[in-house]
Amino acid sequence: MADPRIALKDVSYHFGKGALQKQILFDIDTTIEAGEIVILTGPSGSGKTTLLTLIGALRSAQKGSVKVLGQELNNAKEKELIMVRRQIGYIFQSHNLMDSLTISQNVQMALQLDGIKGKESQERISGVLERVGLGDHLNKYPSGLSGGQKQRAGIARALVNRPRVILADEPTASLDKQSGRDVVELIQDLAREDGAAVVLVTHDNRILDVADRILHLEDGRIKSLSEAVSEDTSRMLNLLEKHDPNSASYLASFSFALARVAYADNEVTESERIEMRRILHEVANLAPAEVEFIMELSMMQKRAISSGLNPQGMQADRAEHFVESLYAIANADGNVSPEELHEIKTIAAEFGLSDPNSP
Amino acid sequence: MPTSIPLGWLQLKYQKLRLFAATLGITFAVILIAVQMEFREALFVSAVRYHSAMEYNLVMLSPKTSYLISSKQFPRNRLYQVLGFEEVETVSPVYLQQGSWRNPVDPTRSRNIFVVGFDPDDDGFGGLLDARQHQQIKIPDQLIFDRRSRPEYGPVVQMLDSSPFVDTEINDRQLSVVGMYSLGTSFGLDGGVISSDLNFLRMFPQRSKAAINLGLIKLKPGVDANRVREKILSQIPKDVSVLTPEEFKQLEVDHWNKTTPIGYIFTFGAIMGVVVGFIIVYQILFADVQDHLKEYATLKAMGYTHGYLRKVVLQQSIILALLGFLPGIGVSMLIFSKAAEVTGLPLEMDIEAALFIFGLTLFMCAGSGILALRKLRAVDPAEVF
Repeated sequence: MADPRIALKDVSYHFGKGALQKQILFDIDTTIEAGEIVILTGPSGSGKTTLLTLIGALRSAQKGSVKVLGQELNNAKEKELIMVRRQIGYIFQSHNLMDSLTISQNVQMALQLDGIKGKESQERISGVLERVGLGDHLNKYPSGLSGGQKQRAGIARALVNRPRVILADEPTASLDKQSGRDVVELIQDLAREDGAAVVLVTHDNRILDVADRILHLEDGRIKSLSEAVSEDTSRMLNLLEKHDPNSASYLASFSFALARVAYADNEVTESERIEMRRILHEVANLAPAEVEFIMELSMMQKRAISSGLNPQGMQADRAEHFVESLYAIANADGNVSPEELHEIKTIAAEFGLSDPNSP
Repeated sequence: MPTSIPLGWLQLKYQKLRLFAATLGITFAVILIAVQMEFREALFVSAVRYHSAMEYNLVMLSPKTSYLISSKQFPRNRLYQVLGFEEVETVSPVYLQQGSWRNPVDPTRSRNIFVVGFDPDDDGFGGLLDARQHQQIKIPDQLIFDRRSRPEYGPVVQMLDSSPFVDTEINDRQLSVVGMYSLGTSFGLDGGVISSDLNFLRMFPQRSKAAINLGLIKLKPGVDANRVREKILSQIPKDVSVLTPEEFKQLEVDHWNKTTPIGYIFTFGAIMGVVVGFIIVYQILFADVQDHLKEYATLKAMGYTHGYLRKVVLQQSIILALLGFLPGIGVSMLIFSKAAEVTGLPLEMDIEAALFIFGLTLFMCAGSGILALRKLRAVDPAEVF
């Protein structure tokens, strides 16, 4: 396998100097291969954009190594940085088109960096604009386009040189749901075709599913996804509990019941799921998002049960921690009551886990 | 479209109102500079009109003379002493004084006029008066009038068209204008007349024939004026100075430039013009760079060099210089022709001066463009996103 397109090793970055110094990134360590789409998420201020600009050769890390397309960017000369920038397709948060140039001239600005002129230039410009659906707007100025069209023009400009690395900073931030979706799918398609490595910064949860891998940044450190999701979800559930306790318990009961009833025979086909969604929507009178939530929650419980039936479903040490912690929780009030003991044994049996306390 | 994109021009063109305002600002600066420079130039050119019109290789004058109008007298004998040098061909004593001219149509108004007296048999004024006029001034109380004198002296030119002479008075003496020469006014002189030395002494009875203001010296062909001057100065008393025509003109220019405030004011005005122009252009370009900061940072992120951006801004400043210069110089020329008509001053812009002002405009624009670009250097391209 060739060098990874992007290799970060112990990357740290801080703003300011002395007492005012503020560290933004801590020991970031990852590699991104050709054809891989990595989404960088995290709350604002977590350092996502900073990390992206480091990869984009727009600033230099104080510590660690940033290698893009085989070129070490730390302590690189300005000339080397410029050469790297030319091989990267950068998609900006707010399109950053030149107002005074037409759409095709904007794309040409990128193309002429590679010295491509004349007929080939014209063909490639109209080709790439055709692909992003702007074939009829070649000679319009950005001010004459909608937000989504402008963003697509920005993507065309970033992709016209067929870059081997594509960096996108919140490409959907200023777009509505549908245009945002279109834009992300466009990036995905183009990236797959050209086999580019893509790093996409976003805190738009609606587009996370295009990722091959999600890197979650928080306070400048990479965090595991499950940690991030747990934290997010529990926070949201707490909010729901606080502001609309009735709905919360209603949804929770529904999903609990669904997990028990609908999956009792362990066989759920696609058509059954569609039917369930329909019923939840029409009979229980739930909003589509609420239906999705119940489905996801019950599916999670169902998966937990079915993987429990498979002894390989949980790693040995995790299984041990699992049962041990159940005993510890039961023992929190000083003694393990017979009822508690019974439940634990039932769960362990259901999940196919060995009970260390049983003979 | 196939060639590279003229980004600077397109950016300027995109904001038409701003481009118009910028052009107007630079036009204004160009007019400011051109007018001040041209007035300054007119001051010097007009001050040496007589210096340039008289014919001589060397001129003798009192060392106390600092400018023509108030030239001091010196003994005529010093000039005749010079005739003894074999290199000298002829000498011409010249008498100068301001006299009080009475307006021929409105005798209640009188005005100072510059009176020149010389011996009509001598050389020196062939460039100003023709042979007939040389004869005319030999007749008592006849004189030749500068047709480009200020109109306050009366409609002498029109009157001479319909009559062979115009009667008037200088210093209360009856005189007749019988012809005209053409020279023009300066900041110190509003008009002039030329006559014979004898007529001069009739107008100024208190003046002595033996005390003159200038001595024009004509040398034999092929003699080195500087060498002769050294020779003259080493052999005659030190109470006179002898100058070449260039030195004589320089003396006058130095007086107006250095010992009167006028020269300084115009120099200062021209510098102010450049400074004001610089500030206007800087403001315009700075605002422009500021507005395009994000676009420039985007270009940097795409892989454009700082040099490319510098070229864009320089391109803009050169275009602005051109756009502002052409109307600016056009309006200036209109102003000059109007002002020349009114003042009689030599206000004609030559190619050299125009080129100099264009160079100044270009320097002004490019300089402020580069200054405005420092803003761009200071900004971290990553900060913009």
